[in-house]
Amino acid sequence: MEVFLSSYGAAIVQMALAGVLALSLYLPLMAGQLSLASPGFYAVGGYTAALLSTTVFTGYANGSYPIPLIVVEMVIAGGVSALFALIIGIPSLRLRGIYLALATIAFIEILRVFALNQPWLGGAVGIYNIPQPFFSATRIEYLLLALPLLFGAMFFVARLERSRVGRAFIALREDELAASAMGVRPTYYKVLAFTLGAVLAGMAGALNAHILNTWNARQGTFDLSILILAYVLVGGSRTFLGPVIGGAFLVALPEIILREIAGAPGLNPVIATFLRDGRLILFGVLIAVSVFFFPYGLITPELFKRRRKKPEKVTVEAAKPTPNVRGGNL
Amino acid sequence: MSAEIMLEARNMTRRFGGLYAVDNVSFEVQRGEIFGLIGPNGAGKTTLFNLITGMTPPTHGELVYKGENITAKRPHEIAMRGIARTFQNIRLFGSLSALENVMIARHIHTKSGVIEGVLGLRPAPQEERATRQRALELLDLVGLADSAETKARNFAYGDQRRLEIARALSLEPELLLLDEPAAGMNQSEKSSLSEFIRRIREQFNLTIVLIEHYVPLVMGLCDRIAVLNFGQLIALGAPEKVQNDPAVIEAYLGD
Ligand SMILES: Nc1ncnc2c1ncn2[C@@H]1O[C@H](COP(=O)(O)OP(=O)(O)OP(=O)(O)O)[C@@H](O)[C@H]1O
Ligand SMILES: [Mg+2]
Repeated sequence: MEVFLSSYGAAIVQMALAGVLALSLYLPLMAGQLSLASPGFYAVGGYTAALLSTTVFTGYANGSYPIPLIVVEMVIAGGVSALFALIIGIPSLRLRGIYLALATIAFIEILRVFALNQPWLGGAVGIYNIPQPFFSATRIEYLLLALPLLFGAMFFVARLERSRVGRAFIALREDELAASAMGVRPTYYKVLAFTLGAVLAGMAGALNAHILNTWNARQGTFDLSILILAYVLVGGSRTFLGPVIGGAFLVALPEIILREIAGAPGLNPVIATFLRDGRLILFGVLIAVSVFFFPYGLITPELFKRRRKKPEKVTVEAAKPTPNVRGGNL
Repeated sequence: MSAEIMLEARNMTRRFGGLYAVDNVSFEVQRGEIFGLIGPNGAGKTTLFNLITGMTPPTHGELVYKGENITAKRPHEIAMRGIARTFQNIRLFGSLSALENVMIARHIHTKSGVIEGVLGLRPAPQEERATRQRALELLDLVGLADSAETKARNFAYGDQRRLEIARALSLEPELLLLDEPAAGMNQSEKSSLSEFIRRIREQFNLTIVLIEHYVPLVMGLCDRIAVLNFGQLIALGAPEKVQNDPAVIEAYLGD
């Protein structure tokens, strides 16, 4: 157990946070918006917590920083992220598809360069010595905060999906024009979905600032956008369980490859080196393969429906419309 | 009968490049009537619906609904005022169940937000129950109650049209715009559709504008008929009158 935790403690906590980040991308996607902005809000959240814990909530020895203060920071970080989301969401959510994705990447990049050049954010070095609530080598104690955050986020999204607001999101994703014809305000609900996602990302960032002990402009960059997108695509984007499982899986996988397979005794050193250094390549191949074989992700809503007692009614394949009676008949 | 004007189109015009899809069209729809809109392919009928529902902004002209100018309003604002429509090229929420499709259109009649919905606080559970109940009733009305959980895209064509009508009714409109509701229905479905449209008009106090090519349906059902050709209104009046109008005969024969 000791050995296991010392190898995997940090990874297990990161699996939970990956789930939260994946849900932060899933929320705007629920309303049909492909946003890659989550790392930006994650960065904002991390800086918020870093600043608060090093300049405002001072006077606690490292290892005895109060957990309730971290919760307070997470709430504030969520609020600050929401503010950012409103400011950038209202103009950019008029964009669609790939253009929105590009705009959100620009947002991340602007934030990164901004943070890099601000002395009060620590410039290139960032903010360090962020106090920790635990004396912990394995970081596993952070599950105490990461799991409630993950389960809270899962509960939130699961309940939302079955509520009035969630249905409005999904209607927009399915057909924006038809949704608006049914009285759903497109801009309002898109901005709302985007903002809710931002809150989750900001909270994850706040927590991770403590876990990592330091925060700088290398956190929450474009690479993370792609990783989070992969969590959602591999896991599945049609039920909230997809992103969570995708995130856990894709965080665990490289760790296992790195530590178990590449470190196995007697393994050909060439292969071991490749597994160690080429794991990002393997990772990319895995994403491509899984998207190819599971276009809707590993977890789909149908997976759960099949167990219900009443099977879906089999219906005839849509008959082609018969040509209308036209011309000369009047 | 003292006619109350429900919808008034004044010089409605929509140009796409050099093409006048709707060209200076004016008419009034009276409360409670079934108003037919006919014309050859490409005459501008669907474009007129798009203008009324705010999906296409007009090039010129004004729309007045129950005395209010609604010309520049967005689709959801039009919906909130009580105008619902169906689509010629069916636009259901394909991966959602029939029930969810109809529930979504209760949006403007419910108000619970994120917090109420997630935490199950008032009024969310009450609204949810009432919305579900109402949606089931409407599915029952169109004969789809047994397939409430079936995904919209898995329905046969005629059933999808009926589901679209149920969804539109779920908005509790006063003015219902039906774009070719009989298209793709078989003969027996078509003949019962006429009865059905009359019934929902009575039951929900509707005013209905109907685009339809199936002549027996239009003639038997509509109180008045407007005929469009190349975007222009070429005839307007009672079915018998329109049927014998030389300009109408010319438009249809001279295709
Ligand atoms: N968005 C658009 N852009 C360009 N042209 C358009 C657009 N929408 C419609 N049109 C054109 O406007 C004309 C009227 O089209 P519309 O769909 O309103 O006809 P319709 O009377 O509904 O025909 P149908 O009986 O085939 O449904 C057509 O020539 C069509 O090609
Ligand atoms: Mg049409």
